[in-house]
Amino acid sequence: MRRFAAIAVLFAVATTLSGTVFAKDDARVEALKTAEATRFQANVDADAKVLGQVLDDGLEYVHSNGEVNTKKEFIDSLVSGKRDYVSTTFEIQGVRILGDVAIVRGTAKVTVGENGQSRDLDLGYTDIWVWKDKRWQMTAWRSARMPPPAAK
Amino acid sequence: MRALILALLVSLPLAAPAAQSGEKPSPRGDEASARAALQARFDAALRADVPALDRLLADDLEYCGVSATCSTKAQYLESVRNGTRKFKSLVPRVERVTMYADSAVLTGKVYALSIGDGTERQVDAYFLVVLVWRDGRWQMTNQSSTLLQPAPK
Repeated sequence: MRRFAAIAVLFAVATTLSGTVFAKDDARVEALKTAEATRFQANVDADAKVLGQVLDDGLEYVHSNGEVNTKKEFIDSLVSGKRDYVSTTFEIQGVRILGDVAIVRGTAKVTVGENGQSRDLDLGYTDIWVWKDKRWQMTAWRSARMPPPAAK
Repeated sequence: MRALILALLVSLPLAAPAAQSGEKPSPRGDEASARAALQARFDAALRADVPALDRLLADDLEYCGVSATCSTKAQYLESVRNGTRKFKSLVPRVERVTMYADSAVLTGKVYALSIGDGTERQVDAYFLVVLVWRDGRWQMTNQSSTLLQPAPK
């Protein structure tokens, strides 16, 4: 009886601990997906306040054209209109959480306004998020242009 | 005995959050060892050393190249094994290393001279690498690259 009780207690402990950890990870994944959607929309809105929250101070943003921005440079370029994201649709293909770091991989269709004309970009992207101050903050972005369909 | 079991069951909701909040940094390698691991990975790629790459790459590797296509570890190793991915030179320049609890993020540039179909091609790119500390060593779990100067669309 005692052995059975001990096993039952151990099982209950393991189940409870693993269950709460999984629940916590699920919540962090959902928070991350929300942060990603918020960030993309803030790009389109050129919303410096939201971007200030969702981007890490140490952000390294490498655009698909090879241009590199710090957090300040990136936000300034949107607010000034130098860079104009007319619209963005995105699809997250993978989210992995490694402790206080998360890797998000996805694709995005971005329409960029330039000199009164718009240009469409099909991108594959990876961004790195860090859990800081009780929220996800994007600390790195890399994107690459997908080959046109005919060349695939 | 019953009292003990009861006490344990009652304390479970308290114990669980305490266990998960204990996110102490794991005893991982330092920045120098992370840099060395990345250099070893590039060196192994240049030698097309599949056994070395197998050890240096995490099983859940995502390798996203400059054409925005991503490979798994098995796909990446096969491309090295069958010669699809071959280099004459591969020179990385690490510009930033950020250490986290049990991972490291390294960014920089890599200057690669690739060989394929009898032709050589210079591929210079920004890289973003995530190393994770597993089984007592650094393993690369993600590499994503962007061309320094992509061809105009």
